[in-house]
Amino acid sequence: MLRRIANHLFWSARYLERAEWRARLVDVHYHLLIESPPHATEPWAPLLAITGESEAFARCYREADERSVLDFFTFDADNPSSIRRCIDAARDNARALRHRISSELWLELNTLYLDAQTWSPAVLGEAGVFGFFAELKDRFYRVAGIVDGTLPRDLGYEFMTVGKLLERNENVTRLLDVKYHYLLPRAEDVGGPIDLLQWAAVLRSASALEAYRRVYGNAIAVDRVVELLLFDPTFPRSARFCVDRLVGALRRIGMHNPTPPAAVPPLPTEELATMLSTGGASEVIAGALHEFLLAVQDQCASIGTTVFDDYLRFE
Amino acid sequence: MLISEAYDTNGFYDEMFGPGTAPRPGCGRVAADLVAQPPAHLAELRARADRMFLRMGVTFNVYGDEAGAERIFPFDPIPRVIDGETWAHIEAGLVQRIRALNAFLADVYGGGEILKDGIVPRDLIVGSPQFRHAAVGLRPPAGVFITVAGIDLVRGADGRFYVLEDNVRTPSGVSYVIENRVVMTRLLPDLMRACGVRSVENYPADLLASLREIAPAGTARPKVALLTPGPHNSAFFEHVFLSQQMGIELVEGQDLVCVDHRLFMRTVHGLERIDVLYRRIDDDFLDPVVFRPDSLLGVAGLMAAVRAGNVALANMVGTGIADDKAVFAYTPAIIRYYLGEEPILPIVETHLLRDPEVRRAVLRDLDRYVVKPTGASGGYGVVIGPKASYRELAETRERIERDPKSFIAQPVVSLSVHPTLTAGDQGRGPALEPRHVDLRPFVLFGARPRVLPGGLTRVALREGSLIVNSSQGGGSKDTWVLEARC
Repeated sequence: MLRRIANHLFWSARYLERAEWRARLVDVHYHLLIESPPHATEPWAPLLAITGESEAFARCYREADERSVLDFFTFDADNPSSIRRCIDAARDNARALRHRISSELWLELNTLYLDAQTWSPAVLGEAGVFGFFAELKDRFYRVAGIVDGTLPRDLGYEFMTVGKLLERNENVTRLLDVKYHYLLPRAEDVGGPIDLLQWAAVLRSASALEAYRRVYGNAIAVDRVVELLLFDPTFPRSARFCVDRLVGALRRIGMHNPTPPAAVPPLPTEELATMLSTGGASEVIAGALHEFLLAVQDQCASIGTTVFDDYLRFE
Repeated sequence: MLISEAYDTNGFYDEMFGPGTAPRPGCGRVAADLVAQPPAHLAELRARADRMFLRMGVTFNVYGDEAGAERIFPFDPIPRVIDGETWAHIEAGLVQRIRALNAFLADVYGGGEILKDGIVPRDLIVGSPQFRHAAVGLRPPAGVFITVAGIDLVRGADGRFYVLEDNVRTPSGVSYVIENRVVMTRLLPDLMRACGVRSVENYPADLLASLREIAPAGTARPKVALLTPGPHNSAFFEHVFLSQQMGIELVEGQDLVCVDHRLFMRTVHGLERIDVLYRRIDDDFLDPVVFRPDSLLGVAGLMAAVRAGNVALANMVGTGIADDKAVFAYTPAIIRYYLGEEPILPIVETHLLRDPEVRRAVLRDLDRYVVKPTGASGGYGVVIGPKASYRELAETRERIERDPKSFIAQPVVSLSVHPTLTAGDQGRGPALEPRHVDLRPFVLFGARPRVLPGGLTRVALREGSLIVNSSQGGGSKDTWVLEARC
């Protein structure tokens, strides 16, 4: 498989995951606001913290209110991370390989892209924030379904998987980190109603609330949320689950090598896989959750660099 | 009567009906079973075909259309039939031509015997913008310069096939031949079986076999790749189609790298050697070291690898000199010179305007000639005398006077016509009317020649138009070459 093709597939999947993730965040955050007591000073600012865009936002907008944040987050053609720009990037990458992906996938991506071109903040007025983002989330599900149902499980698919999972892992750890250390700065609020609401929102943004209730029941406890989102081997958006799949994809990519090296080099995922398969929520919380999450993110970044160097880079 | 009385060929040769509207050899069945049907029914067939093309994604890019809009190549459901005997004649003529042109290229970039012998003027060759100094002294691995040729034929008022021009650089259109057939097979399976139509589906396998045969000596399992300028190219669909059909990698310049005079592609598992490159980009863009330094489409060092004999190109660099419009006038002499045979297919009468006497004669009656620039391909810069305005003629005259050696003139050929389904707009229903057609058969040459039985029949859909190019209202028909009767 050509590096150019693998690179496009990797980024196409990665940008799609990023766009979907942002749509989920808005959706959940909106609900959180509806349910929260109306005292928070800057209710939309946390969204920017989660994605690390507070500074970029402040450069272009004066006030972080619903309208400005949603605009920046979703529609802004000048913000390279806006949902619209992520969709652009995913589609641009796919365009170069129309002949390698299924026509169904191309059609879906291209339609999404063409629709995104016509978006303006006014569509929120028509469909409502909830309606718009719920619909958007559904469209990402459709893309995922087409990917699942129409693409052969060849090398190209593995690179898409790697791109998607690296992105997903970074997002889930970032979400936990921000919630744990930023969203509730006053220690006396921990365990209070707002805290619990926020944790429920965290679960919901990863579509994990129902899975949580099935496993742990109604009461929401921090260590259990962390357990589910980091260490659960069965939940499809947990860090552990993603890493397990990542290991599989990288192993299969290695097996495609027509001239395999005599000694198979270790996978770049080894350390992360050990961290997530041997660790547990209570220890990392008792230790330092923030440091642990940072370490996971560092590992993801370094896996990304290794994959890029080994398979995608044009030297 | 198999065709309405209103069908009037205006004295042009009709491909399907002879004098007294009797079907020509091989055409009886199509005339009786298809052409005799009500036009409305034929229009339904065409609509079904259009839907199939769209669904199959058989489209060409429209330049400048970013919204991803693509158009299908207009398709006419009435096939053009060529009987076995006529085809045998055409096929022999095509094979003879590609043999002679290959020998010619090996000679002009080698010893230059034909120039020494004065058969073709030396200055015509070395003075041509199509002459590639980079190809001088090159000996392609199997001695083959032209692996793929598309040779445009027209049928004159006398019913004979004439060669209009050779396309031996990067000829395109073969994917439409194959996809037209796929659609026709679904549309008219019974009629096709009854007629005994020869299959065209072997073309990609034949092409791959030919490409493997020109691989550098000693490559056990030659690796072949198709080099495309990329998705923005108007023929990108064909590049995708052929690479998929042949099961070879479709590469862009950025995928390639030359190391130690060898060509490689960058795969996720490192560099992989390429032995044969089927390139669908022009010479000028192939290697920035040797040709245009600003080209990003090719790969630096390619020509050095070719020269070292480590990679074969199809077609080889410099083949444009063989389809130069001025050299075309000499092709009958070229055939006689290398093969010692008379040309099987005559060429359309061609006048070189570099000759003062010829020039005077042509300029006197410029409105009766088609004037073509010698170096261009794809119909660029062509002026059709009878259709040109007074001003266009004056400008053409001036250009010829300024640079006579860069132009040739041909008489306007009375292209044959074929019953064709008209659009049926402006209040008129669809009807069968005669429209002008040409034929582009495809010839392959590796260790031996292989001719695709058929070719692209292009049809000028506008009434009276002689221009069959898709950009100017042209469409295509399926071409049915019939099994020889045993």
